[in-house]
Amino acid sequence: MGIERVESSDAELVRRVRAGDIGAYGALVSRYRDRLGRYAVHMIGDHEDAEEALQDSFVRAYRSLARCYDPARFGAWLYGILVNRCRTTGARAARRHRMFVRDADALNGAAHGDQADRVEWTDAIERALARLAPEYREAFLLKHVEDLEYEAIAELTGAGVSALKMRVKRAREQLQLYLREAEHV
Amino acid sequence: MFERADDVVERVIQHLRRPVAIDPGLDARVLREIAQAPPTNRRGWPLWSALAAAAVLGAILIARPWSRDETNRSDLLQFVFVAPQAASVSLVGDFNDWDPARSPMQTAQGVWATAVRLAPGRYRYAFLVNGVDWRADPGAPTARDDEFGTASSVVTVGGRGS
Repeated sequence: MGIERVESSDAELVRRVRAGDIGAYGALVSRYRDRLGRYAVHMIGDHEDAEEALQDSFVRAYRSLARCYDPARFGAWLYGILVNRCRTTGARAARRHRMFVRDADALNGAAHGDQADRVEWTDAIERALARLAPEYREAFLLKHVEDLEYEAIAELTGAGVSALKMRVKRAREQLQLYLREAEHV
Repeated sequence: MFERADDVVERVIQHLRRPVAIDPGLDARVLREIAQAPPTNRRGWPLWSALAAAAVLGAILIARPWSRDETNRSDLLQFVFVAPQAASVSLVGDFNDWDPARSPMQTAQGVWATAVRLAPGRYRYAFLVNGVDWRADPGAPTARDDEFGTASSVVTVGGRGS
């Protein structure tokens, strides 16, 4: 006995939202917040800007839900909205001083060296990521961090698969270079 | 010595895959913003869908009504309340004689919602969690004239709203 936890599919939740159940949209937000938030934070670099972009993407998706023609793929559709939103924010942020976020939880979970080394490692990664061209960073994060297939990334970004593979390759090379430089500073 | 290039990149990937803390209040802000500007009725959206609403403050409790159906004298308001750990939530107010059996809320993964149609007027309401825990809406004005000794909130229908 007890409470049975039943998790609704994206398609079912979208159907309920379209029928006027705003609570179902809250469930979709809860479902995708953390994963999309991670992408936004890494892509934009500034935590506050990233959360703003994430929030705006959820609101835009809700207002445009009639254009989500395949509710079973709501997550992919939402990703596309966020990717575009991050591009806009990134372009704006590039003109400002870039801030770096140290996630205390992430630092506590790091497995290399003492705390100072972990902070240094985190900073080095963030700075290296920030130095990548936005299209390289975007492709790298979607491929390796969000673990999407190239075909899915192509659909999200509008870039061809071969171009994406090249961007990821360049991103890997440059990250390695930047981190090597950081070690020698 | 630095490690092999591929190992470095793999360490970067593992680092970046760790969860990033996102403000839990983001859910509430999304719902509030949606409530303030609902989608237009197009491409098959039921008019009903333009009548839902909510607002949230904090990660645990939330709720705020909005919206009106211009085709009726009464307004259809949807109340939303976030309580992931609750087994049941009911909307109670002077519009339903504070009877939890009349407006039980439905949940979608911890987000509880119910809609009620209200004629123009001023109403007091609250949320009853698990049948015993009485909660006012932190995102709405507090009722000052609650003679029952429990906090409640106020919504005004047909006027300026809550």
